[in-house]
Amino acid sequence: MSVPIRLGLVMLAALLVQLTVFVDVRFFGVAPELLSLLAVFGAFFIGPERGLLVAFGAGLLWDVYLPTPLGVTAFTLALIAYAVARFNEGLFHDSRLQLAVVVFVASGMAVLGYALIGGIMGSPELLRIDMFRIALIVGILHALLTPLVSPVMMWALGGEGTMRR
Amino acid sequence: MVLPQGGGSDRGRRRLVLLVLTAITLLSLDLSGFGPLGAAQRWVRDLLHPIAEVAGFVASPFANTWNAIFDYDDLAAERDQLREELDNALGAQLAAEAERAAFRRLLEATEITYLPTIPTVTATVVRTAVGNFDEHVITIDKGTNHGIRPGMAVVTGAGLVGRVERVDAITASVQLLSDANLVIGVRLAATDEVGLGHTLPDDVRTFVIDRGLEWPEGDDGSLLPALDSVVVTAASSRYPAEIPLGRITDVYLDPENDIAMIVEVELANDVRDLSYVTVLIASGVDQVPLEPTPSTSIPLDIEVPQDPESDR
Repeated sequence: MSVPIRLGLVMLAALLVQLTVFVDVRFFGVAPELLSLLAVFGAFFIGPERGLLVAFGAGLLWDVYLPTPLGVTAFTLALIAYAVARFNEGLFHDSRLQLAVVVFVASGMAVLGYALIGGIMGSPELLRIDMFRIALIVGILHALLTPLVSPVMMWALGGEGTMRR
Repeated sequence: MVLPQGGGSDRGRRRLVLLVLTAITLLSLDLSGFGPLGAAQRWVRDLLHPIAEVAGFVASPFANTWNAIFDYDDLAAERDQLREELDNALGAQLAAEAERAAFRRLLEATEITYLPTIPTVTATVVRTAVGNFDEHVITIDKGTNHGIRPGMAVVTGAGLVGRVERVDAITASVQLLSDANLVIGVRLAATDEVGLGHTLPDDVRTFVIDRGLEWPEGDDGSLLPALDSVVVTAASSRYPAEIPLGRITDVYLDPENDIAMIVEVELANDVRDLSYVTVLIASGVDQVPLEPTPSTSIPLDIEVPQDPESDR
């Protein structure tokens, strides 16, 4: 099975879990954003070139279900993925803890970026003080999900991620 | 160990610029209502809907267990609230028997007259919010195949719930009344005055009419809307019919405007807990009703003084 098909399957599965499980299962009213998590992993594991495409595709898929205009999440995740990939280039020692910290920060920034760009693009209601709480909880949830999602993403990427783990 | 990527950085930067430009193009097209883009999104949602239904069925035991464990306090509170409401209803019934005339008037005001004349579609709520910023959006299991179009009013037997926002072939998204950004034109049943209102961001059961209503001249309390009045949406607003909204709980002078009146309404519906809704298959005017502007023309019954210069 080729990498694009595996990635597509993982993204579809993440979307379905998001639309079914995390509609009800929320932590302090906040749900993890699995497609955003996949975008961060993609950038971390395979760098700024193809990682950006993974992040953009994940964002576009998530945009289809969000009330904000198409492209807001894709835009945000592409920027975050680029930042993650460039940051990762400067790291000499990778560890699970380091990955979890990167996921925590990048996921939180993705939430804030989505609110900021969505707010600029005609949805000012996204810009509210609550977004910091949401960003914090999403960051923590994603960091906790890292041990579960990381192997799945490495499988989807055909083992390329193992170079960085 | 991280492998150096060398010249990949430039390619990555170029790719980032390309993707950002693509995203901005998509945003611009979507914001301008570019048809094929909307159709593509609808196609994806319609294609994935049956798969999501199956996945939802498979995941439902887990979600139900989660809700049973973590929402127990909410369920207990809801039970207590329902018990209290039942007691109140019994008390109201007794009071109504003592005041049959007033009760009959109230019935006339609350009777929903739009249902017999306007075709309706009953729908099941299949999903609440999917993201972390769209808590005022629900998804229902009816769409364009069932005659639903954007802008249609969504109601329950108690009254207005929201409006249809985005429609696919077999599903539709509904913007709930709890969204403080959803401005609604309303008419006060007691006085026939028309105003604009919205819910409060931190209290989704309270609807505030803060535009368009004037405080009665001479501070005549008898002209104020009776507190037991029912507010209905105005027929001239974006909704096609007069739909009950709630009961007035407070009327006061706008602290920022000495001549404006603010009316608080307790909504008839609790939109946070919906399982079924009804869509009115009738189109309203898809825009926020404008406040009446004073006429600048000279009334016919005013005599215009002759210009003395013109007689010369």
